[in-house]
Amino acid sequence: MNPDVVRAITRLRAGHVLSAEQATFFDRVARRGLVSVRFEIRTLLYVGVLLLTSGVGVLVALHQEEIGPLAIAVSIALAAAGSLIWVARRAAPFSWGEVPSPNVAFDYVLLLGLLLVAADLAYVEVQFTVLGPRWAYHLLVVGVLYLLAAYRWDSRTALGLSLTTLAAWRGLSLSLVPAALGLGVAADLRASAIALGALYVAAAALSTRIARKAHFEEVFANAGLLLLLGGLLSGVLDDRQAWSMWLAAVLLTAGGVMAVAFRLGRSLYFAVGLVAAYIALVRLLFEPFRYGRHADSIPLLLAALLGSAVLAVIFWAHRRMRER
Amino acid sequence: MRPEAIGWERAAEVDSAARGWRRAGAIDEATHQRIREAFPDPCVTPGAVWRVLTGGMVAAIVLCTFAAAALGLWRSSTAIQILLLLWAAACLVASEVLEASPGSARRGAAGATSVLGVGFFLLGLGLVLVESVRLHGDDAIDLLLVAAVLTCGLAAWRWGSPLFAGLGGVVLFCSLARLPHGRILWLLAGAALTGLAAWGLDEVRLAPSHRIGAAVLTVVGIGAVYAAANVYSLDEASLEHLARLAPGREDLPRGARLAAAAATALLPLAVLAWGLRSRRTFLLDTGIVLLALSLVTLRQYVHVAPLWVVLILAGALLVVLALAVERALRRARDGEIAGFTADPLFSDERRQQVLQIVPVVAAFTPEARTPAPDPGFAGEGGRFGGGGAQEKF
Repeated sequence: MNPDVVRAITRLRAGHVLSAEQATFFDRVARRGLVSVRFEIRTLLYVGVLLLTSGVGVLVALHQEEIGPLAIAVSIALAAAGSLIWVARRAAPFSWGEVPSPNVAFDYVLLLGLLLVAADLAYVEVQFTVLGPRWAYHLLVVGVLYLLAAYRWDSRTALGLSLTTLAAWRGLSLSLVPAALGLGVAADLRASAIALGALYVAAAALSTRIARKAHFEEVFANAGLLLLLGGLLSGVLDDRQAWSMWLAAVLLTAGGVMAVAFRLGRSLYFAVGLVAAYIALVRLLFEPFRYGRHADSIPLLLAALLGSAVLAVIFWAHRRMRER
Repeated sequence: MRPEAIGWERAAEVDSAARGWRRAGAIDEATHQRIREAFPDPCVTPGAVWRVLTGGMVAAIVLCTFAAAALGLWRSSTAIQILLLLWAAACLVASEVLEASPGSARRGAAGATSVLGVGFFLLGLGLVLVESVRLHGDDAIDLLLVAAVLTCGLAAWRWGSPLFAGLGGVVLFCSLARLPHGRILWLLAGAALTGLAAWGLDEVRLAPSHRIGAAVLTVVGIGAVYAAANVYSLDEASLEHLARLAPGREDLPRGARLAAAAATALLPLAVLAWGLRSRRTFLLDTGIVLLALSLVTLRQYVHVAPLWVVLILAGALLVVLALAVERALRRARDGEIAGFTADPLFSDERRQQVLQIVPVVAAFTPEARTPAPDPGFAGEGGRFGGGGAQEKF
């Protein structure tokens, strides 16, 4: 029971703010007379899919000799087909707008089908070397498959998987952590990250502009900004020769991202831009003191001062931004 | 907690419920506005992104200033101890000031300063105990654990943070595990904590955040009882490894193993039954997790089938179970059975779905391909063989 809400409902009913019918229903929910287990059902489905795909993985890894590669490939393909046929039969007709799931299991059965297809393709590639030395292209195939499924069945989850799988095809992991820790990113990977990030951001803008699956914008944009700003930041942190050029690029891009985010009222994009700019500026602050012997405290104090300025920007932006 | 802070929290609870009603279309905008006027919440409450950003930046500022000061004094341990305690005091005072104002209480800064303040204090105290008082390592650990329980408890009580409540509970059980008969203490204290915390779950006199803290402590208590009663934990003497002096295996009372096996099987069911009866979803979630742990424990002792069979069957079972529950609830009269429904009611379903993308993508994205290294020149030397002969034997 939520006693504060229960008391408030009584008061709101007495003041005729709520009708008797509304008050009765709200009161029942506040007193836990009616409880939703939708989250629990979703979690069970998610864990079920996780266990099923893990089981298939273990089966393939440990028993391929006994069962035989063809039997395994066909079995996984049949299971995948079963899941996707179920999805296709229950799906609503295609629309460029947002389509609600027909039931709570829909997204998870779709996820299971897609993961089984991906596992089957990977297995077939390993066993029969269809693509040979170009085996990495199977990631491209899987990524495109996820993308098609995302658009056909209006699944943000499939879209997220598609974007990260396409990034994996280019050798990228959608994480800022390695770059932020200065673990080193090869120059060609950096270029791939920037190009792919820019492509995703452009796709986000295009989705909204032409109103084709406009609700996919945030998935495209968040993945794109992580890749784009992560790639540029890795240049600031890793490239000893041209770090200042990368710094200028980060500041320009982050500034642009923050300005657009501010105009659109998107706090997450604004935060990503601000954090990228802060990390890049901290690198700039530390540069003059790299070879000093007793000057270590000064850049830290400057970083704290910079943090205070960033905090002021956060408060200002929060007050002025109209979030959507 | 300050009385005015409790008042702000109560107004925020009503506002949060009203936003849910509005989201579900159960009330119109005019009614929502009248509710806001009837229960005004004076606090500025930014979204999660702003709070995390503010908290992170405040933490960066505090840590940078501390590191700058510490680098100048690193040769003197006493100076570092004083510095840690000074920063702790500054952070705790800042938390008090920030929590007192409706303009800053919920921005994320107070949360960051309180966590850092407690952290600095415990670190400073630890250094004082080891370096200045020169306590024996075990004594210092025991004292530090007691201090951590008290500090987290006080912080949870003063600022209403469920994080501190949970940390305090966990540290309490860590300190109990170091005493003789730690396992029995876990059972007793776990049961006592669960009972005590469960009393506060619906208590109108408690602040809303204290009620959430009570829910966290209930889960910690149940977890402690389960950890102490689990048969695998008993066999492996998991808790005894934390003790200052590990007792020998002969200390195990007769029948303890049988009782532990029974408890491993029954405890999750009891928690599930409690959750179903009281219609508390957090207890249902806890019961499900414990049930999963018990099944893993069972698998440890009884190999009914190979791992892949167990995983596939368990996964299929979960999917079928979830679908059966959903279908039963959908087809029931008014879409509910015994007060449970599969409808989202007033929760923010869209937000949950968006948040769910993160774990799915994290768990199922294939590994990035590693670019092939430039082979350059690699002299492999000569090889034997020819006509079917090989250099390997």
